[in-house]
Amino acid sequence: MINFYSYKNKSYLVSSILIIFTVIIIFFKGLNLGIDFKGGLNFEVRTNLSNDQIINVFQDIKNDREIIVKKEIGSDVYAIRIETGDDNASFIEKINQLILEHPEMEVLISEYIEPTFSDELIKNSLYAMASSLLVIAFYIWIRFDWQFAASGIFALLHDVFIAIGFMSLFNIEFNLTMIAALLLIAGYSINDTIVLFDRLRTITSDENNKNSFSDNVNNSIKLNLRRTILTSFTTILALICLVILAPVNLTEMPIVFIFGVLVGTYSSLFLALSIVGDLNYEAVLKARES
Amino acid sequence: MFFLKQWRFWLSLLLVGFCLYFILPNFNSKNSDSKINFGLDIQGGYSYLLELNEDEFKQNLLIKTTQVLENSYNLQSEILEDQIFIPSGQNIEDLNNLVIQSLGLEVVDRSDDGTSLAILQQNFNQSLSEMTLNAVEIVRSRVDFLGNKELSIQKIGLNKILLEIPGDLDNNVKDVISKTAKLTLHIEKRTLVNSTVFFNEETGEEVRVQEIPNLTGDYIQDASLQYNQNEPVVAFSFNKEGSDLFAKMTSENVGSRFAIVLDGALITAPVIREAITGGSGQISGNFTNESANNLAIILKSGSLPTEIKIIQEKQVGPTLGREGVQKGIYASLIALIAITLFMIVYYKISGVFTTLTIISCLGLLFAFMTLLNTTLTLPGVIGIVLTIGMCVDANVLVFERIRENFKNSIENPKHEGFNSAYVTILDSNLTTLFAAIFLFAFGFGPIRGFSISLIIGIISSLIVTYIVLKFFINITSEKYLGLNK
Repeated sequence: MINFYSYKNKSYLVSSILIIFTVIIIFFKGLNLGIDFKGGLNFEVRTNLSNDQIINVFQDIKNDREIIVKKEIGSDVYAIRIETGDDNASFIEKINQLILEHPEMEVLISEYIEPTFSDELIKNSLYAMASSLLVIAFYIWIRFDWQFAASGIFALLHDVFIAIGFMSLFNIEFNLTMIAALLLIAGYSINDTIVLFDRLRTITSDENNKNSFSDNVNNSIKLNLRRTILTSFTTILALICLVILAPVNLTEMPIVFIFGVLVGTYSSLFLALSIVGDLNYEAVLKARES
Repeated sequence: MFFLKQWRFWLSLLLVGFCLYFILPNFNSKNSDSKINFGLDIQGGYSYLLELNEDEFKQNLLIKTTQVLENSYNLQSEILEDQIFIPSGQNIEDLNNLVIQSLGLEVVDRSDDGTSLAILQQNFNQSLSEMTLNAVEIVRSRVDFLGNKELSIQKIGLNKILLEIPGDLDNNVKDVISKTAKLTLHIEKRTLVNSTVFFNEETGEEVRVQEIPNLTGDYIQDASLQYNQNEPVVAFSFNKEGSDLFAKMTSENVGSRFAIVLDGALITAPVIREAITGGSGQISGNFTNESANNLAIILKSGSLPTEIKIIQEKQVGPTLGREGVQKGIYASLIALIAITLFMIVYYKISGVFTTLTIISCLGLLFAFMTLLNTTLTLPGVIGIVLTIGMCVDANVLVFERIRENFKNSIENPKHEGFNSAYVTILDSNLTTLFAAIFLFAFGFGPIRGFSISLIIGIISSLIVTYIVLKFFINITSEKYLGLNK
């Protein structure tokens, strides 16, 4: 049996390295912001043209605007992103005209977002995420203790942040759908963590239990280990189906989520309860006993 | 038949009936009301997100307020940026705090020079919101006149309107929604005082007219596309009040020109040959059939309270939608089969219960979605996949707890195991549920679509776990549960 609690310092080290690595990646590579957060035009087209040929099509009208063309994994669909500039309304007209002249490109999706609106979307998403984080923290604090709330939120942020690093590393576009993926990771992570919290609470509230805190932590994890592995396994199984079969513009999302599930499983097994311990939850238990 | 004594059995039956009652109409092609709506990303279509100009609205509101101050309280005031300044030396006794509040204003500053007033934020937001609701109706009527039947239009936030139309792109929609359509009539004026020049870019026609309009499009009752010597023109008629004003205006100014101005641009400036008393008229000026029809539609629907800006436009071709749905359904089905097969191999008969629980969870989820008329989008489908995951997790938690109780020879292992596992499930699911509710309240677009199916999914999962799964566990003898190792 693995003594999870004894790996505490090593897992702190691993997580620190992962976090520092993420900071470095984001600092140097940045995030591949989609038009939801940057404004601009986005097309998904199905075509036999090559990458360069597509750029050539837009060459005449693009002026100083940056054009990014990217092939979607395992398909003949390309994502074309054009940044905003002056007089976007007439530019859209020109683009629409151009598309009509090129029937070899079938437009699956086209979307335009005004930069002022994307600023608002960023703010809006941050509010939505911050408020749901607060509500999670509050609920855990009420049902458990503040140490659990702090640790749960930390584990959640840890998972989401490392997943963002993963997206930056593989140049995956960051857009509203990806925010939904990150929320999914957050939801999964907190779900996994709370199941363990619940077990630790049950074990430590047993009056006949004279085990040390580290034994209690290990027991909580041990008793839930099969469940944690089974659930992670079935979730990943479902996600692999999504990766293979999802519509072209949604394949990246389950990949990010699979990564998130792995990190989330790690953080609930190796981090969450250790942090509760290090926040001196033992003292709370001792005070309760006497 | 011992299971007939179980209240959970009857409740499960009721649940199945409830699901069938709401889900079945979805497969009936004739009945169009009680169905799950599919988002544009699934069925294909186009959408515009419109934003009304908040600053312009504020200016209009300030102007209106200064007029009230002048007419009701006999106070001269001026607008300084976003405040109203009442210079001193006037009788402001009537303007006590109660009155200021009832006007939706607050005192920002009182000095010897005068009093500065600002619009209360709360009042402003309320008026802005009301104005947007008003604009929603105008936009709806414009698009309706073009003959789009299945459009969905809703107010988003304080000053935004989301317009979604399934089907192929119709460029006329963008044309009619993006025009403010402020129609004004101005009588020609030769002096420079209080006058302004309007100009027609295409014809080069220009005319100096009175700055304040003599008549506005607000009085227009009806407008339509007509032909005058084979040229498309827009014929319009005023309501009673407008007819009287139009008659007065034309009779007093026979021989002068008058400008017909739309959104600040001159359309045409004909000469008044005689008084027009019938209350109807025609606008001609280089129209195509389409542009004349569009203008008639926007005149008929009324003008928007402020300038409108399209801040997001999106078009999803029908192919992607169809592919998306097909692939989404395949992916979900295969994922479902993979998970249930795994559960059956691992948990034997209990795995079969899991399968039935998942199916009832999905049934309940779709029943609720139909009942609440929710719109299902692709992120929503992903929310459903997460729901299946959480439902499986609930099953695993219950089975593992029961197995553990067997091992430790705890009395009544099934019952105890289920109850203690259900506490855990409640804690973890409720946390996610609360988070999802907040996401729904604050989020936009995909985030909303995702959170709504998550909310409904978690509730369904909690219900079926408590009723259906527990029923199966209750009726199955402990040794057949396949957990007593």
